[in-house]
Amino acid sequence: MTLYTCASANVEQAVVTAFEKAHAGATVNVFRAPTGQLNARVAADARSGGVKADVIWACDPLTMHGYDSQGLLRAWSPTNAADIPSAYRTPHFTGIALLYMVVVVHSGAVAPVSWADLAKPQFRGTVALPSPTFAASALGLLGYFASTPGYGVTYYKQLKSNGAVQVNAPADALTGVEQGTYKAGVTLANAAYTDRKKGSPIEVVWPRPGGVAIYGPIGVTTKKDVSPLGEQFASYAASGAGQKVMAGQGTYVTIPGLGGPPLPSGAATVAPDWPSLFGSYSSVLAKYTGIFGG
Amino acid sequence: MAEPAITHRARIVPRGEQALAAVTVLAIVGLVVVPLTRLTWVAVGGGGSSIMRVLRAPGFGTAAAHSLELAVLVPLLAVPLGTGIALLLRRPDVPGRGGLRVLVVLPLLIPQFVLGYSWTQAYGRAGFTDDLVGVRWTGLNGPAGIVVVLVVDAAPICYLLNTVGLATRAQPQLELAARASGATGWTALRTVTLPLLRPVLAAEFVLTFVATLESFAAPQVLGTPVGYSTVTTRLYTDLAFGSDPNSFRDAVTLALGLVLVAAVILVPADLVLAPRLGSRRTRQSPGGTALRRRSAGTAIMAGLVGAYAAFAVLLPTIALVAAALTRAIGLAPTPSNWTFDNFRAALDAPTRSAFAHSLQLAVLAAFALTLLGAVLAALERHRPGRLLGTVAMLSFAVPGSALAVGLLIAYDRRLGGTLTLILLAYLAKFWALAHRTVSGAVDRLPAGEWQAARTSGAGPIAAVRTVWLPALAPALIGAWLLVFVSALHEVTMSSLLYSTGSETIAVAVLNSQELGSIGTTAALSVTLTAVLLAVVAPAWLLLRLTARRRDIPAARRRELAHAY
Repeated sequence: MTLYTCASANVEQAVVTAFEKAHAGATVNVFRAPTGQLNARVAADARSGGVKADVIWACDPLTMHGYDSQGLLRAWSPTNAADIPSAYRTPHFTGIALLYMVVVVHSGAVAPVSWADLAKPQFRGTVALPSPTFAASALGLLGYFASTPGYGVTYYKQLKSNGAVQVNAPADALTGVEQGTYKAGVTLANAAYTDRKKGSPIEVVWPRPGGVAIYGPIGVTTKKDVSPLGEQFASYAASGAGQKVMAGQGTYVTIPGLGGPPLPSGAATVAPDWPSLFGSYSSVLAKYTGIFGG
Repeated sequence: MAEPAITHRARIVPRGEQALAAVTVLAIVGLVVVPLTRLTWVAVGGGGSSIMRVLRAPGFGTAAAHSLELAVLVPLLAVPLGTGIALLLRRPDVPGRGGLRVLVVLPLLIPQFVLGYSWTQAYGRAGFTDDLVGVRWTGLNGPAGIVVVLVVDAAPICYLLNTVGLATRAQPQLELAARASGATGWTALRTVTLPLLRPVLAAEFVLTFVATLESFAAPQVLGTPVGYSTVTTRLYTDLAFGSDPNSFRDAVTLALGLVLVAAVILVPADLVLAPRLGSRRTRQSPGGTALRRRSAGTAIMAGLVGAYAAFAVLLPTIALVAAALTRAIGLAPTPSNWTFDNFRAALDAPTRSAFAHSLQLAVLAAFALTLLGAVLAALERHRPGRLLGTVAMLSFAVPGSALAVGLLIAYDRRLGGTLTLILLAYLAKFWALAHRTVSGAVDRLPAGEWQAARTSGAGPIAAVRTVWLPALAPALIGAWLLVFVSALHEVTMSSLLYSTGSETIAVAVLNSQELGSIGTTAALSVTLTAVLLAVVAPAWLLLRLTARRRDIPAARRRELAHAY
């Protein structure tokens, strides 16, 4: 069977290896690439005989909604669907991994209590913000704030006038804070904890109302002669055993209580309304680029 | 003292040349025309609506203007810089010439995907100079920074092409004659050396223009913080949301727009301007350098090149090596924080096999394209041949992601998941590099000597070996080098075309970049640069040797120098 994915190489490889071990004789061909390349490959497939993957494991629901709306995903639910919160499930794909957008501050710098603090004078000119035109996780953040009372797109206007700087990926914001280029930055919690463990001078903060969750969904394609291994693989990745392997690689997962990176007690999590964002992302993005450019 | 332009006379085309032309046309169709046609179908797939959507999208005009502004500015700065350095380092009396030559070429060996990072680390806020002397460059993020980084990236290519050009085209006797007749050094340069270099300079302008037009890494890293977008950064955004078919079509349309802009510049430049730039040799005495008397000016200029090398090359390179050696980002690069972990992570077993694939592909592409580039350059002596050269350049203008999509749609059924498909992508993308490097030398081919060799009984192979090869050697080696380096650094296409079993180094680069581990990415880049250095150094030495063989014998030089 063939898997298309944008999951981190170490996570995806661990799951594939565990699956092959549990299913004697099974071989998984993997094409792993960032979302942009994944989209290009799927689009090229569609124009040369149909999608070649049996399973697609994306990094964000928006991308998966796109594939779904093109009819590339078949109806499928993992056998353990009941273990996974319904917010991470649709009739065609299911969330297995989670990313949390949080704030990192350089060691010794003041930590924000709420997201709104980043737009206040004590953070003037020192905040790095990943661009939603570059990373789907940053778009998730934008989508969340755009539809949250008290924030809205106005929040980004306030950030901009407070001198917040746009960078590309959440990883760039993290690097910038670690190096001291910025005092605070918006980034992914798992990556921040990994670097902190290695010794990078940062603190991880979960501002109110919470870390913004972006789920990584998996689904089985409508490929004509789809391999029976496809469903088995997707179900394995969604299962407790599969998610435990992922958690062991430093990833948050959708079944509660399986381990993974730290989730401090009292740290709240929130999530954007993905189905509504799918319909409105281009207009939200246009408003954003009107503020930050790009 | 410019020589007359080449005149083209009708002549009977030999059968061998016809066969070569047929092969070239086939290659152009397969590598350029077919994928571009497939992309055009994608773009007009939604009834052509994507063209209007792209043009009307907010910010498109600004992004297009930015792309053009960069594409014009970068060659205007990089070509004179590369030419100036090449002319200076041609003088045997320049102090520290060998070291400067290596430093000037070094940026060519550092992958573009770490260029932005290494500059930010060297000159940005909390970077090297900021930490050490409290000086940082606030303009680094923005158009000025992008231009400087792209110029530093392009200058070595211009320098290399000029070195090749001087080896195959310069006529030291003419320069000496000019000096002997009372011309100043500047007049001799303006009236003898530069006119002889015109085809090479034109090739540099065209290559740098197109390369800047489709450059992505530098605008992305340094432009984003100030909201400076280009056509390629918009294309990336469209691709990131490309699971929406409209967004994907918009990305392809933008890519084709770049091809169109390149064509608008290339067609007149190749068909009208280029034929007027060539010059026949007056007799067999190409290349080399005339002896100059030492002057204070030489030392000052060498000092300037040294300063350029230190700021533009050394500091960013040190920043990169420091990142590769440091345990965690944000720690001081002092020995207590040093580690080889990043190198261990960068060089795991899958990466080593990816390295092997990449090396294999880069060597194959370099040999194949040196040959194809030479053939195309030879065919350019006729007008239809020049058109072929223009078409071959179009695939250089297509951003890698779009070119890979075109190739996938065209050939995935037969070649999907093989290294051959990746090789085809390299051939399509880098043909222009090889071709333009060689084409700056072919008008200097000694036509009379070829006929003399053939009439005195030499077969075609013997004639190529004894007449053409020696004359073209520096250009061929230069072409090989450029393709080899570009292929080994290629990330976008390879990471889109690979499959299990055909991973290249690009896959490892993207894996480490996605993990946000700049240390691992830096370690990979440093390793890549070291591998390149190991392969490129002998080729570079060979280029220097073949160039030197063209020097006027020392005794004759002394004689001429004493004559005035």
